[in-house]
Amino acid sequence: MTFQEKPLPETNTWSEPYWEAAREEKLLLQKCSDCGKHIFYPRLLCPACFSDNIDWVEASGKGNIYTYTVVTNNAPSIFLEDMPYVIAIVRLEEGVQMLTNIVDCDHEKLSCDMPVEVTYRKLNEDFTLPVFKPV
Amino acid sequence: MSLKGKAAIIGIGEVPSGKFPERACIVSAVQSSVSAIKDAGIKREEIDTIIPTGTVYNAQYNSEMLTGRLVEELGLTGTVKTNMQVFSGGSSSSTMLKVAAGLLETGAAECILCVHSEKLASGVSGQQGIDLFSMAGVSKEWEVPYGQHYSGVAALAMQRYKYETGTTDEELAAVCVSNRKWAELNPHAMFRKPLTIEEVLSSKILSTPLHAKQSNMLADGGAAFIVTTPERAKKYTDKPVYLLGSGSKVSHFVYSQEPDLTRFAYADAAKDAFDEAGLSPEDIDVMEIYDSYPVYQLIGFEETGFCKRGEGGRLFLEGQTWPGAKYPVTTNGGMLSQGHTGAGGGVAMLVEAARQLMGKAEDRQVKDAHFAACTSTGGTYFDSYVTVLGTTIPN
Repeated sequence: MTFQEKPLPETNTWSEPYWEAAREEKLLLQKCSDCGKHIFYPRLLCPACFSDNIDWVEASGKGNIYTYTVVTNNAPSIFLEDMPYVIAIVRLEEGVQMLTNIVDCDHEKLSCDMPVEVTYRKLNEDFTLPVFKPV
Repeated sequence: MSLKGKAAIIGIGEVPSGKFPERACIVSAVQSSVSAIKDAGIKREEIDTIIPTGTVYNAQYNSEMLTGRLVEELGLTGTVKTNMQVFSGGSSSSTMLKVAAGLLETGAAECILCVHSEKLASGVSGQQGIDLFSMAGVSKEWEVPYGQHYSGVAALAMQRYKYETGTTDEELAAVCVSNRKWAELNPHAMFRKPLTIEEVLSSKILSTPLHAKQSNMLADGGAAFIVTTPERAKKYTDKPVYLLGSGSKVSHFVYSQEPDLTRFAYADAAKDAFDEAGLSPEDIDVMEIYDSYPVYQLIGFEETGFCKRGEGGRLFLEGQTWPGAKYPVTTNGGMLSQGHTGAGGGVAMLVEAARQLMGKAEDRQVKDAHFAACTSTGGTYFDSYVTVLGTTIPN
């Protein structure tokens, strides 16, 4: 299939707090009340200790670029207009990793382990994506 | 309980990979199956189980295959007891063989035909292929909205691998050149024209640091292999290819959740596979290392234990992996040169390993090949498989 519009996140009921917070430009993570580990992406059960005693906490929004790439050709059709754009995996201070985009940056100056902080890109009235920019 | 020596590949079949708009997908499946049956020298009625692995270009075709279309096409309704799909993307070669060996060991089956067929070059357009693979095994909640796709997936691993190991662009390009050297000798390969490092590095960048000629090309293709018990195998051939070890681990679903994009779980998989086989990497004569992109081939080669981490690039650059050299690696040309037929990329490598051990690889035959190791992985490299095969069963 080919996208006609930018793909919106296909959400699950238990991840709704994450997307509601993102709409208000806040980055929420799950945190296991039993073992204390942070969890991303939102789960039904803590992947570390199997507990379902899970809370939501606000993340610091700070982290480092684990790895990144600048997409310059052959993107999915609906993203062709955005090229060049940056896809990255960011390691948050809380010890979790997430796929994201790096924005507001000089592509030539990006590097692995570079510090970044969260910012937001509004997709529509319902969805805002957490993305990151260099500190 | 071990599956060591409990299953043997006795026949292989394959159709050329490439762009064949006139060749229906079922033709690739039937021709590969017929070749494998003839190669094994069995009567077709001896097959009691057919395992067609997944086809992604067309959901209807896939559903036909998992509900018995091939059984009917081969005239085996009434004799085949089980037709079922075993599918894990690119690692389906290994999962099919593992399931087949388990069925044989318990007596639930005696002769199994494993088949793959795909039509990714002519069944979908180039852009449709990119769009299709932007979602295959990619989370629609956590990754698709960020513009993730397979060049991006590969580029993310490549960037970090270069950063941690110091492997150069030339060394990564040398993997493509090595695979092409083998493909030049493979009549079933999609790309057989000689390739140079300069050509690879002058091709356009898709996603930094990944060049277009470091990307596999989607292909139409098909391959099949027949697996039976060691006792039956001896009736048909004096060179059965035994399953000696199978090690594996699932290390993520969502790509960003992989703990180490420069290693994956190959080291654990290799340890289990070699321990089961009673062999070590030094005993291996042929290494069919899953590529799809050069960085994954280097990681697979290093982590399986054929050289130290970060040294693989130099071996490829020096030509030590070329035909006739010390390390025969990915001897059909891999997905970078034979073509990426979906799950078939891994099936083609398993079939190639068997072909080499059977001594049927013609111009690219590795001399005195007794033991082979195959790696494979599916989706966004969600699992790591190492499978060890041999012409004898070591103690």
